[in-house]
Amino acid sequence: MAYDDLRSFLATLEKEGQLLRITEEVLPEPDLAAAANATGRIGENAPALYFDNVTGFTDARIAMNVHGSWANHALALGLPKNTPVKEQVETFAARWDAFPVAPERREDAPWRENTQEGPDVDLFSMLPLFRLNDGDGGFYLDKAAVVSRDPEDPDDFGKQNVGTYRIQVIGADRLAFQPVPMHDIAQHLRKAEEKGEDLPIAITLGNDPVITVVAGMPMAYDQSEYEMAGALRGAPAPIATAPLTGFDVPWGSEVVIEGVIESRTRQIEGPFGEFTGHYSGGRRMPVIRVDRVSYRTDPVFESLYLGMPWTEVDYLVGPNTCVPLLKQLRAEFPEVQAVNAMYTHGLMVIISTAKRYGGFAKAVGMRAMTTPHGLGYVAQVILVDEDVDPFNLPQVLWSMSAKVNPKDDVVIIPNLSVLELAPAAQPAGITSKMIIDATTPVSPDVRGNFSTPAKDLPETKEWAAKLQKLIASRG
Amino acid sequence: MNSPVICPRCAFETVDKLATSPVPGVWDVLQCGQCLYTWRTIEPARRTQRDAYPEQFRMTLADIENAIEVPAVPPLRTTG
Ligand SMILES: [Zn+2]
Repeated sequence: MAYDDLRSFLATLEKEGQLLRITEEVLPEPDLAAAANATGRIGENAPALYFDNVTGFTDARIAMNVHGSWANHALALGLPKNTPVKEQVETFAARWDAFPVAPERREDAPWRENTQEGPDVDLFSMLPLFRLNDGDGGFYLDKAAVVSRDPEDPDDFGKQNVGTYRIQVIGADRLAFQPVPMHDIAQHLRKAEEKGEDLPIAITLGNDPVITVVAGMPMAYDQSEYEMAGALRGAPAPIATAPLTGFDVPWGSEVVIEGVIESRTRQIEGPFGEFTGHYSGGRRMPVIRVDRVSYRTDPVFESLYLGMPWTEVDYLVGPNTCVPLLKQLRAEFPEVQAVNAMYTHGLMVIISTAKRYGGFAKAVGMRAMTTPHGLGYVAQVILVDEDVDPFNLPQVLWSMSAKVNPKDDVVIIPNLSVLELAPAAQPAGITSKMIIDATTPVSPDVRGNFSTPAKDLPETKEWAAKLQKLIASRG
Repeated sequence: MNSPVICPRCAFETVDKLATSPVPGVWDVLQCGQCLYTWRTIEPARRTQRDAYPEQFRMTLADIENAIEVPAVPPLRTTG
């Protein structure tokens, strides 16, 4: 089942028991963030939260933790809510093969109902903005799908980017904006700034759940997120034309903010409690002038809490980071079985692979670091054998404890690229990277004493299925 | 009000009002003219009062002026 907007997905979450309405009056700070923070501490099937009674506001509607559990992530993809994680990632990878699915353009976007323009733009009057973490520099839009085009190739639909970036509200019509240099919009901005031109931008809030997934997904520069959304939904993604920029934006958004990134301007932004579990910022970032806002009547403001993992962003971005790495590695190394890139957006990655010959696993690890996503992330790779499940952390740690001879199996490469947010980088943007080869050495790499492994009994798989069935039927 | 409002983060003395609560008189959203720190007047003291503002989040004018640019502004490309 494909959802065309956030509201229809919220209705499904509620029907499935995965949406909690908080009806008591809450403070904008610290209650909203603290409640969402708590969803990451009460187990992995926590519900989405919906607030509409917030101190000082008359008609705030705030949705949080919408993707913040494995149950909600499964429902976003139209899967049963109890689908195991490994199966969610496998389904995601299988649907990828339908890419590209052309989007469907619609004219009657509900966000056409209301408009603010020019001097009348006032984000505070339209949205119940609030702070997340104590040390944040201000109030953030942190779950938007941001649309921009390549200034040198504006008509190329594939090079139009849809991404998620952190955006600080620094005025009624001004935003500060963080494009990490590895991300597509930073390339757009660089091209515009080299010519001294502003970069037009459309920021869409409150999107259907799959648009949010693809906006946080590390895709190739010329691949369209809308065409990927169609593949993942199993139905064309509905899009509409934004009135000021002419950009393609989601049909179902609650709010569409349009304006420009002002050329060659930087202003203090942040800090912001990031997905790394650390604050970053207090840096000079680009700024956006908002020229037009379009919004649905009674818009729902969707936001997410992030900070020390696991939080919503880990459920949201974890699976969609695994799949591109899996596909890109398999393209050259079909021996790769599975990729777990769910820890801190893939700063650490666990890969299970068969070995073509001795030394092969280390090559797979190096390739992971040179994928487009790996250039900015993937600072540590753990390689495990083909029969180890990289999502099963006890099995991964067993591999490390039993198979790793540190002198031969730990490789450290100095001074490689990483995103500036990585807390361990020194200087920001530069880090050493490490490969831990926890696979069994194969010829001609003849080391260790691995000739007599104890394997699962042949009947174990069958019994696992039987037991799961018995447990499920018990209700 | 009583004492003049200063920025909890950088102690700058020019503070602007960005917004006021839709329910009259409940809160304002204020912003520092120097470091752009933004806060709601009813937030806890650790976010709104200079005395209670945590040391590790404080910011000086030098911090702002010396902060690195992300991303750096590229050289202008002049085409003939
Ligand atoms: Zn200040």
